[in-house]
Amino acid sequence: MLYVKNLNLQAGDFKVPDTSFDVKKGEYYFLLGESGSGKSLILEAIAGIQKIKSGEVWVNNLNITHLPMHQRRVGLVFQSLALFPHLTVMDNIAFPLQRRGIKWPQVEKEVVQMAQRLSIAHVLKRKPGTLSGGEHQRVALARTLIMKPDMLLLDEPLSSLDILLKEEMVELLRELHQQGQTILHVTHDYRVVGSLANRISIIQKGILLQTGTPQEIASNPKCKLASRLVV
Amino acid sequence: MNHRLNRFSILFMLAGGLVLLFVIAPLVGLFLQTSGVSIVKTLHDHEVTHSILLTLTTAMGATLIFSLGIIPLAWLMAHHQFRGKRIIHGLIDLPVVIPHTAAGIALLSVFSDQSLLGSGASFFGLSFVGTSAGIVIAMAFVSLPFLFNAARDSFESIDKRLEHAAMNLGASQMQTFFRVSLPLAKNGIISGMIMMFARGMSEFGAVVIIAYYPMITPVMIFDRFASFGLEASRPIALIFIVIALAVFVLIRLITRKSFAVR
Repeated sequence: MLYVKNLNLQAGDFKVPDTSFDVKKGEYYFLLGESGSGKSLILEAIAGIQKIKSGEVWVNNLNITHLPMHQRRVGLVFQSLALFPHLTVMDNIAFPLQRRGIKWPQVEKEVVQMAQRLSIAHVLKRKPGTLSGGEHQRVALARTLIMKPDMLLLDEPLSSLDILLKEEMVELLRELHQQGQTILHVTHDYRVVGSLANRISIIQKGILLQTGTPQEIASNPKCKLASRLVV
Repeated sequence: MNHRLNRFSILFMLAGGLVLLFVIAPLVGLFLQTSGVSIVKTLHDHEVTHSILLTLTTAMGATLIFSLGIIPLAWLMAHHQFRGKRIIHGLIDLPVVIPHTAAGIALLSVFSDQSLLGSGASFFGLSFVGTSAGIVIAMAFVSLPFLFNAARDSFESIDKRLEHAAMNLGASQMQTFFRVSLPLAKNGIISGMIMMFARGMSEFGAVVIIAYYPMITPVMIFDRFASFGLEASRPIALIFIVIALAVFVLIRLITRKSFAVR
């Protein structure tokens, strides 16, 4: 599904040197690392936001390294969620479908279905500025999922949620995964990883230290963060 | 914060009050010294009404036509780092610092019928000297920094992640510009357009060099003052100020209603 091959990235003085990993179809894969470890940089490189110095990114046997951002079909949910403040929730979720030239009645039907699936149908006419934290998260997720991305990229989507909302979102992500969605999730929160992950890579200062299933990593931790993993 | 008046506040209020008085006094004086009869008479002067209409339409024309180039340039300057960017900034701000009569002379050397550009344009039946097209060019030259700077600041203030999100969701750069960047920057751009329009409308120096005729109102005020004195020019000045303020307020109201972020 996703193959990151010998990726070299640089942002200012910070470097991600020669990084390789792969995410299989239907897999829930975590990049676990502390703040500033380079995990978001890798995610942005896959999405086409961050310039790749060298290396390749493949999705579904297609080399997307040099594809423009809008042609990559990898859906990124930003840490800041990046909902368009000037559009209603309905228009936010409809955005990817409208860009593909789909006619409004069909767009509306799909948006309503997606909103019902994520329990946000009641906020469709509202602007993002009026939503609660949990609703924000769900709208951002709905907007990305409606484009049926080959790969869902999640950049710390749970970091700003309180404990109850976090549990709710974890359940939602588990459900999405069970429905077959391939997910690459970056986080520093080792507590949510164990119950969701098929595989995990631990990243520190831009370097992948350890990759394996939660059980493999927990039984043979190679760093402090890995030793804290709850399986 | 303590809002009680102390010596410091009173001193600053006095200094600020003097500046406000300096701005308001001439306007009040103009109102008080202009008779109603002369205003009515001036309003029936077709040369004056035609001149006001010409001033409004050319200023609007300059703003609308040049915004088609200024807004994309402002976007580029807000989004890209490149060698020579500071020089472009300086060039755009140049009309603010050079004397406007000098700007008129500079424009004349490029747009006169004898110049390369002017003669090229005249081949297509377009002349800039002594025409409305010349007025538009002169107004745009001196007023475009107002729109450019406002638009660039607005584009710069947009969270780049919103534009990245749009492209990640399948929008091309063009779609991202029209669906995300432009709507989010619109308030600043509209303010800039209003400022450009207002500045263009009040231009005298550059216009008088390139197109004394047809006469825009600032040129007509000068012309009547030089030919017939204060009494003849004062009612035109008063009417023009009132109309300029009315148009300014009207545009603000319309744009606020139409473009308010709900």
